[in-house]
Amino acid sequence: MSQVAPSAPVPAPANPDATAVPGAPATIIVIDDDRAMRLSCEKILAKSGFRVQSFESGSAGLEAVSGLKPDMAVVDLKMPGISGMEVIARLHEIDPQIVIVVITGYATIDTAVEAMKSGAYDFVPKPFSPDELRLIVKRGLEHRRLVLESQQAEMERELLRRRFVTFVSHQLQTPLVAIHQYLDVLRRLDNPDPAKLHEWLDRCLTRTDEIQAIIKDWLTLAKVEGGQLVHQRAKVDLTRTIAEILKTYEVLAAAERITLENRMPEEGCPVVGDQNGLSVLFDNLVVNAIKYNRPGGKVAVSVERTPAEAVVSVADTGIGIPEKYRKLLFGEFFRIQDAKKTPGTGLGLAIAKRVASEMGGSISVDSEVDVGSTFRVRLLAWREPDEAQETGRA
Amino acid sequence: MHSRHKILIVDDDPDFSQAVASFLEASGYDVLQAADGTEGLKVAKAERPDLILMDIMMRERTEGFFTIQEMRRTPALKDVPIFVVSSLYAQIPGFRITPEASWLAHDAFFAKPVDLTQLLEKIRQRLAETARKEVAP
Repeated sequence: MSQVAPSAPVPAPANPDATAVPGAPATIIVIDDDRAMRLSCEKILAKSGFRVQSFESGSAGLEAVSGLKPDMAVVDLKMPGISGMEVIARLHEIDPQIVIVVITGYATIDTAVEAMKSGAYDFVPKPFSPDELRLIVKRGLEHRRLVLESQQAEMERELLRRRFVTFVSHQLQTPLVAIHQYLDVLRRLDNPDPAKLHEWLDRCLTRTDEIQAIIKDWLTLAKVEGGQLVHQRAKVDLTRTIAEILKTYEVLAAAERITLENRMPEEGCPVVGDQNGLSVLFDNLVVNAIKYNRPGGKVAVSVERTPAEAVVSVADTGIGIPEKYRKLLFGEFFRIQDAKKTPGTGLGLAIAKRVASEMGGSISVDSEVDVGSTFRVRLLAWREPDEAQETGRA
Repeated sequence: MHSRHKILIVDDDPDFSQAVASFLEASGYDVLQAADGTEGLKVAKAERPDLILMDIMMRERTEGFFTIQEMRRTPALKDVPIFVVSSLYAQIPGFRITPEASWLAHDAFFAKPVDLTQLLEKIRQRLAETARKEVAP
């Protein structure tokens, strides 16, 4: 039910440099007791397209800040009344991200350095040319833009984290509700039919497994994110790793008459990575290839190698992935509607992607609906130290 | 003696649906089940149940809401009591859907897991009210 307010079209300002936030000219205040200096700053900055307002004292400037919400303040350090240094401190109390440039005479460069230590972004020594002022202001606004952007990114991450919590709790809650409801009804029924009782208890156990799987995947993802899963970049033989994984799933595959084909080179396939990370990654891909296959289908694991990298393909003959979903596929909790009848946590591919990138690799998918999907993992090939080009090792 | 009341459960979790259905059957009701909004609407139109239990987050996160709206637009179903049974409640702190909420034309709201005693009581109460209305001129 939430509504996104339509953003009003804002005409682009004449000078694109004059913005901190895209679409609006930046507002700059000038605080200086010297009238001539105020006027020349106003003139220079207004000419560049900024909104400028100047004040003859620190107290007058500070009073106006809450209303004006300036992106930047140009402050003279030597003023009667509130000192320039105090103005800086108070400005930062009001807006920690405001960019402050101090104006200073040559004689007071030391003070300017002090001012920068206490949070001013830059300083302009008097006398200065219009271009010098413009350059420093432009740099300051660029700095503010970057700071605001990273704040925005932080907020987006937080939103994602909250969404993640909502999804996980829904996924945990659904099976818990089912189990609760079965047990509650069983408790209330006088003489439950033994066949029904048995069936329901089995269902409760299955739903418990579902919860376990979610918790396991969630923990794995948290570990990858926390850098605890992928510890090292060592030599790992993928031929052995793949063989072990395929062996684990022989029974699962046989139940659906799915053939597992290991086309990895017999002499081994050394890559750079972490054994645990790679096991988790390929385990997820192989399980998916079996789960989303058709009865009597095939799963083939093969590799294409160059001296620099190994591209491992896990190919299935399954339901395929419609193109519109491919971009979303590696996101957390993404599940294609048609695939929902197959049990799964929606985290497997998110984990695979994280693990691959932690090891300096990447993952991609090619797919055709009703024909099958091929997941390709690009990893760095292992090179023995004597083959390595690097020199200069102490 | 009039025939048994029919209750339709619309929920995408077959286990939840199955458990609640068995309980309601043991309490003397005939129960129909549908696994999503579209099927729910189809069954409701064909069977005209006396009361509907509606999940919200099914294939789409708000599928139940739209199904309720569609039912209210259907003349034959417009007066069938609809109880929302959803874990939506538990997920958004402070979020309450009251029957007064005009955007959601339901009659009662139950959080999952549902308190069966309370559910049964509300169902009986509601069906009795409907019966009284039908008897009254």
